[in-house]
Amino acid sequence: MRDSILELSTEAPRPRVNTSRAGLIAVICLILLASLPLFRPPLFFLSLLISIFLFVSLTESWNLMGGYAGYISLGHVVFFSIGAYTTAVGMNVFGASPFLTAVPGGIIAGAVAAIVGYPVLRLKGAYFSISSLLMAVIFQLVFLNWTFVGGSTGLWYKLMPVSIGANRAIFYEVMLGIALLTTLVVRHVERSKFGAGLITLREDEDVARTIGINTAWLKLKAFILGSFFAGLAGGIYGYYLSFIQPDITFNINTSLLILMMAFFGGCMTWTGPLLGAVLLSLTNQLIVTFIGAEISRILYGLILILLMIFMPNGIVEFLRARRSPR
Amino acid sequence: MELTFLAESVISGVLLGGIYALLSVGFGLTWGTMQVLNISHAVFAVLGAYVAYWCFVKGGVDPLLSVPFLAFLLFLLGGAVYRVVIRPVTKARDTVMGSMVVSFGLAIVVENIMSGLWHPDPRILKPSYTDTSLFIGEMVIGKGPLIGFAMAIVAIALLYAFLHHTFTGKAVQATWQNPTGAVLVGINRDRVSLITFGLSIASAGVAGVAMALIYSFYPSVHNDWTLYVFLLTIVGGVGSIIGTALTGLLIGLIMGVCAAFLPFIWVNILLFALLLVILLFKPEGIFGL
Amino acid sequence: MLEGIGVVRRFGGLTAVNHFDFQVEKGRIVGLIGPNGSGKSTLFNVITGFYPADAGRIVFQGEDITRRKTHEIARLGIGRTFQLVRPLLGMTVLENVATAVLYGRDQEGSMAKARGRALELLRFLRLDEKRDLPASGLVAAERKRLEIARALAIRPSLILLDETFSGLSETEVRESIGLIFKIRNELGITVFLIEHVMKAVMETCEKIIVIHYGVKLAEGPPKEVSRNKAVIDAYLGQKHA
Repeated sequence: MRDSILELSTEAPRPRVNTSRAGLIAVICLILLASLPLFRPPLFFLSLLISIFLFVSLTESWNLMGGYAGYISLGHVVFFSIGAYTTAVGMNVFGASPFLTAVPGGIIAGAVAAIVGYPVLRLKGAYFSISSLLMAVIFQLVFLNWTFVGGSTGLWYKLMPVSIGANRAIFYEVMLGIALLTTLVVRHVERSKFGAGLITLREDEDVARTIGINTAWLKLKAFILGSFFAGLAGGIYGYYLSFIQPDITFNINTSLLILMMAFFGGCMTWTGPLLGAVLLSLTNQLIVTFIGAEISRILYGLILILLMIFMPNGIVEFLRARRSPR
Repeated sequence: MELTFLAESVISGVLLGGIYALLSVGFGLTWGTMQVLNISHAVFAVLGAYVAYWCFVKGGVDPLLSVPFLAFLLFLLGGAVYRVVIRPVTKARDTVMGSMVVSFGLAIVVENIMSGLWHPDPRILKPSYTDTSLFIGEMVIGKGPLIGFAMAIVAIALLYAFLHHTFTGKAVQATWQNPTGAVLVGINRDRVSLITFGLSIASAGVAGVAMALIYSFYPSVHNDWTLYVFLLTIVGGVGSIIGTALTGLLIGLIMGVCAAFLPFIWVNILLFALLLVILLFKPEGIFGL
Repeated sequence: MLEGIGVVRRFGGLTAVNHFDFQVEKGRIVGLIGPNGSGKSTLFNVITGFYPADAGRIVFQGEDITRRKTHEIARLGIGRTFQLVRPLLGMTVLENVATAVLYGRDQEGSMAKARGRALELLRFLRLDEKRDLPASGLVAAERKRLEIARALAIRPSLILLDETFSGLSETEVRESIGLIFKIRNELGITVFLIEHVMKAVMETCEKIIVIHYGVKLAEGPPKEVSRNKAVIDAYLGQKHA
């Protein structure tokens, strides 16, 4: 029985979904996904899925601020990177396994979010977005010049003493777990009082305050929570990449990709980022495989442009408008 | 610390700042009038640089002569881009996010087309007069930066004159200040947006040429330029050409001073951090409305 | 219940609220009237913490709330509506009110209970049939009622109503007058209202405060104030004397 504030309406303008059937399908899909490595699929396929899991984690966690609260951050990569660098340093300096240090990595990312977020969240709209971008740039520059974390040379992780296949499978399962956890948490938030507050904040921040919502604190909470999951994912993904460097981890393209996935998938509910991450990743992969890497970038850009021209409010909105004529 | 060295550094900084100012003015223009954040703005600057480059290298046409021509060309291109790509987005619910997404796509497309056609090797515009330098007292100032700066200032002045002294320009300003009001007094908002976007892209192109006289360029350099554009627009205030221009000079000054004392990388960090701080205390920007 | 002592609020060179003293007694319906631009909404904004007071104090139920933040003031028990209504358009009518129940004085944690309380309030304001409509689907008069429902949902002891009667038809005005009395009589909430619609003011208010260019011009029962010469000259005209 759905309990979220968004589901209070009986004639919800949202697609009616048979809850228990959807839940069953979801569980079956998860079991299939989790057992996939047993069937020894081609390694590149597992790699593709691992990157999809990463983007699901990043986009879902981003959506707390971006979709629900309406604060579009272009600096989400910073927290991803902090997680990665925490596990890398943890391994190189303390010999600790990233599987242990990923959670602390997420916590550190959350802490940084708290410090940076406190002033930056006072800005609104495009100003916030651009400031978050500037924050990302500053962090990138700092990391490029910080010798302790390898500067522009980057850091290497020690490889696990297992075969490539096993290695891939382990990361597959862990990233799947992180993606699942992140999605479930975001879904829980959406249906909770916290989520209702965030959505109210997005709709009208002044009104939110007059009904007793401590907007500054709510924003900060969402920012910290989202950053934690980005850091967590980063901690593991860095290990998977086995080499991290500021130009890779702080890349603004990643931030823009997250934005696009949330936008196209729909940023209003938890299913959106999931959909967007899967769709855009698959699209990109298909283009690269069948058309070739060089033209793929141009084609990807063109598809984005076309999608925006025809579906300026995202895919989900577009489908909904087609389905229910107003 | 040698005074001459400091002075040279400051002047270089200011000259560069002026060019960044021109680049940023166009960006602020589309943001202010249409709430469009055109992330691809700097890509067109690179395009302008390439056009001038090929005219020079293949056709022997001096950049100073090809600039008016390419400005016009880019104005038309800007208009076309507006019609096809930007206008649909302005009708979306969230123009800011939508424009970021679509302009990102545009930037990818244009950058990769340039990369595919002309290869990512760095190039630079070097007409013969840039080989010599100006000597003031003991200071040496390259002619390239000077001419680039002059180009930028002229372009900014022309833009300013257009906005304040022509009928169409005032229509643009009106739309900027009060979109609904502007429509109510009969201003064709679509046409104004078209012209604004065209001018924006054209000015980007000119800035690109100016930049190419000083530094080498390649298709992906627009990423670096874009950051400065963001910086300048926000600090200078989205509503103001003069503000953006002055901010450009100010930033240039700061860059010049810092560059004399710090390794280059730290200059950037300092600059961006400083700007974040300014943003936090005065989000409208130093000169903003 | 609510008291302002020497409240001052400036905007650059303009003093919108000028050493203004006022009192709203518990359980009363008090009106604030004055010409446009006289500082009425500004005063409401200062009381609710949207603008800081440049000088003076605001005391609510014995507590100094001058420096408090808006959400704290809301949780202490002051609800408000906005002159130009601000419904949360993307949410349904029920959601609009339920969120206020969640974050208001009750700090309700259960979504189901919040939903229940919200429904009660919607019934009180005759909006319950529209509960699942997006707020964007309401007409103007209904939006005003939604605005009030939302303000009531935080369980305030005092409600600030900003020009609730503007743009209403005669019937709607009469209904709203009845509503104001219901709010005070049935819910026990003190009402402080800004109004231009004189009929509403005269019929509902037990005390009227007149503000003119930020300064208190008069204060007293409606009959007295409507005969006050300064008030007539500045604002009322002869009709209501």
